[in-house]
Amino acid sequence: MHHTSKFSRRTTVKAIALATTMLAVSFPAMAQDKPLEGKTVGVTVIGTDHHWDLMAYRGQVDRLKELGAEVIALDAGRNDQTQISQIQTLIAQKPDAIIEQLGNLDVLNPWLQRIRQADIPLFTVDTSTPHAINNTTSDNYSIGAQLALQMVNDMGAEGKVAVFNGFYSVPVCKIRYDQLKYVLESYPNIEVIEPELRDVIPNTVQQAYSDVTDILTQYGADSGLKSVWACWDVPMIGATQAIEAAGRTDVKTYGVDGSPEYVEMVATADSPAGAVVAQQPYEIGQRAADNVAAYLNGEDVTPFTFVPAVLITKDNAAETAKDFLPKKD
Amino acid sequence: MTAVEHAPAAANRGWFNSKIFAKLAIRLGAFAAFAGILIYFALTARGFTSSYNLINVVEQSTILGFLAFAMTVVFIGTGTDVQKGGIDLSIAANAGLCAAVYAVMMREGYGNFVAIPAAVGTGMVIGFFNGLAVVTLKIMPLLGTLAVMNIAAGLELTLTENTVVPVQSDLMNVLAFGRFLGVSTLAWCLIIGSALLIWAIHFSRIGLRLYAVGGHIEAARAAGIRTGAYIYGAYIFSGFMAGVASILIVSRLSSSTPGTGLMLLPILAAALLGTVFSRRFIPTIGGTLLAALFIGFLANGFQLLGISSYWVSGVQGALILLVVTVTSFAKKH
Repeated sequence: MHHTSKFSRRTTVKAIALATTMLAVSFPAMAQDKPLEGKTVGVTVIGTDHHWDLMAYRGQVDRLKELGAEVIALDAGRNDQTQISQIQTLIAQKPDAIIEQLGNLDVLNPWLQRIRQADIPLFTVDTSTPHAINNTTSDNYSIGAQLALQMVNDMGAEGKVAVFNGFYSVPVCKIRYDQLKYVLESYPNIEVIEPELRDVIPNTVQQAYSDVTDILTQYGADSGLKSVWACWDVPMIGATQAIEAAGRTDVKTYGVDGSPEYVEMVATADSPAGAVVAQQPYEIGQRAADNVAAYLNGEDVTPFTFVPAVLITKDNAAETAKDFLPKKD
Repeated sequence: MTAVEHAPAAANRGWFNSKIFAKLAIRLGAFAAFAGILIYFALTARGFTSSYNLINVVEQSTILGFLAFAMTVVFIGTGTDVQKGGIDLSIAANAGLCAAVYAVMMREGYGNFVAIPAAVGTGMVIGFFNGLAVVTLKIMPLLGTLAVMNIAAGLELTLTENTVVPVQSDLMNVLAFGRFLGVSTLAWCLIIGSALLIWAIHFSRIGLRLYAVGGHIEAARAAGIRTGAYIYGAYIFSGFMAGVASILIVSRLSSSTPGTGLMLLPILAAALLGTVFSRRFIPTIGGTLLAALFIGFLANGFQLLGISSYWVSGVQGALILLVVTVTSFAKKH
């Protein structure tokens, strides 16, 4: 047992090392061996309690270290006040660059502005703000539209959809939600149930489970309720479980991110999970670090960097889902 | 607790001396540990001693400090024994509710002149409910204030629907980013607030009577102090401080956000930790101020040294355990 797991871990490490070398070769910025040698880079994230957040965070920290940087890695544990204090102290530490990942833009913007006022180059992951030099993210406009269109198709362009909208203050969620609403403008026979649901952190899965259970009670089998949507997929894990528990086959769920548990649900034929747009958070983190390296070595960096995302549906899961399923040692 | 202290003391002088010595050792130990950790940070953490960084830490400790002062006042008025005495578990949730009231009223177009009194008033009403539960209904403080905490948290969710409510006003900018004589507004708030409270609690008649009520309620009642009113007062004051702190929270975060309730643990940590800095291990404003700053310096020093922030809450928890153990040991023996 032990031997196998050790062996597989070593293989994984080798595979990652190989992949990294290949990436390093393909990136002109990486011509120099350790382009961030002697540089200090601060990484501030609101939290790492979800798969996406943790992977993107690790991608940044790992890559920055590979590139030779000294990393000040700060996880605010989902506490806005902690993140603000960490950013404030970080500014005083005068690093050569700062990467900020996710969080509430209303809270962050005045502080991101202070980072720039202190002449520290600011990069963001999944956070569009005028104060950043570059935002590395997925193409959330496309993600929002693709997921909405898939949902419309599955619904036959009519019926009711229950929408979770608790994180409109998080920029990527705003974009995906706005895209959903934009797509639905063309399909007037689809009705968004009011009031909208509120997804929460923490207790995301449990809360979504009980909210969706209530919705299913309120909207019975002949109500026309066909879909449940959220701008990410952790609440959809609870929603899918609630639909299964209620024994309903007329309602499907839709989400974004590619959390392994949810991808597995989409890939399971009889699960109510309809589709998910899976992102590559680890790669997003790595690209953000590469952008810092490029910028600090005098290269031009564009305002945003998109890392491809994949729409996984019930129909294409056989080909698309395999890279995103839970890793089994 | 204070009553037990005096009776057997005269009977056994040697034991009395060793007890005094033990207390002194613990208190000096606490100061030495605080100073030692600061010196360690000063020597090893780059930029720790810069005035900019030190003021940052004071600024970062203001909100925690204000809420911990409120908890301290409740401790003072009701006795520090957490199992028997009073506690205000609702304080963090109350601050969250006040912040929500303030932010929502600002969003609806009421100005600061209406929204700030409304927020502070909300805090005091919640404080009144705590008093009602504990004094009038005689519910155990741990349970009474826990129930009120849930009410406050529920009302906050109802108001904000668990979303971020942004606030923009000139006052917010001055509070969050203003400076006077090189010191930021928030840091001034802590300095002035502490000075006022130290006077009110340790030097005014009301403060001394509050200590009497918390120290020995029967004796205080016999001496003609209206004990119920003082305990009510402590809880309402706690709500008042929650309201004041909520304005500072909103200004620092430019919005009301869910999750203010998470501050309960650091608040308790600061108020309990503060007792080791006092002569008789009782809650004092000065002690709580030191403890709040200590918690702030710990997080700051760890970040400057590159120690994972994950350790901060662990160290906080360990400190609470240590303080409660040491002080209860010192009080009993």
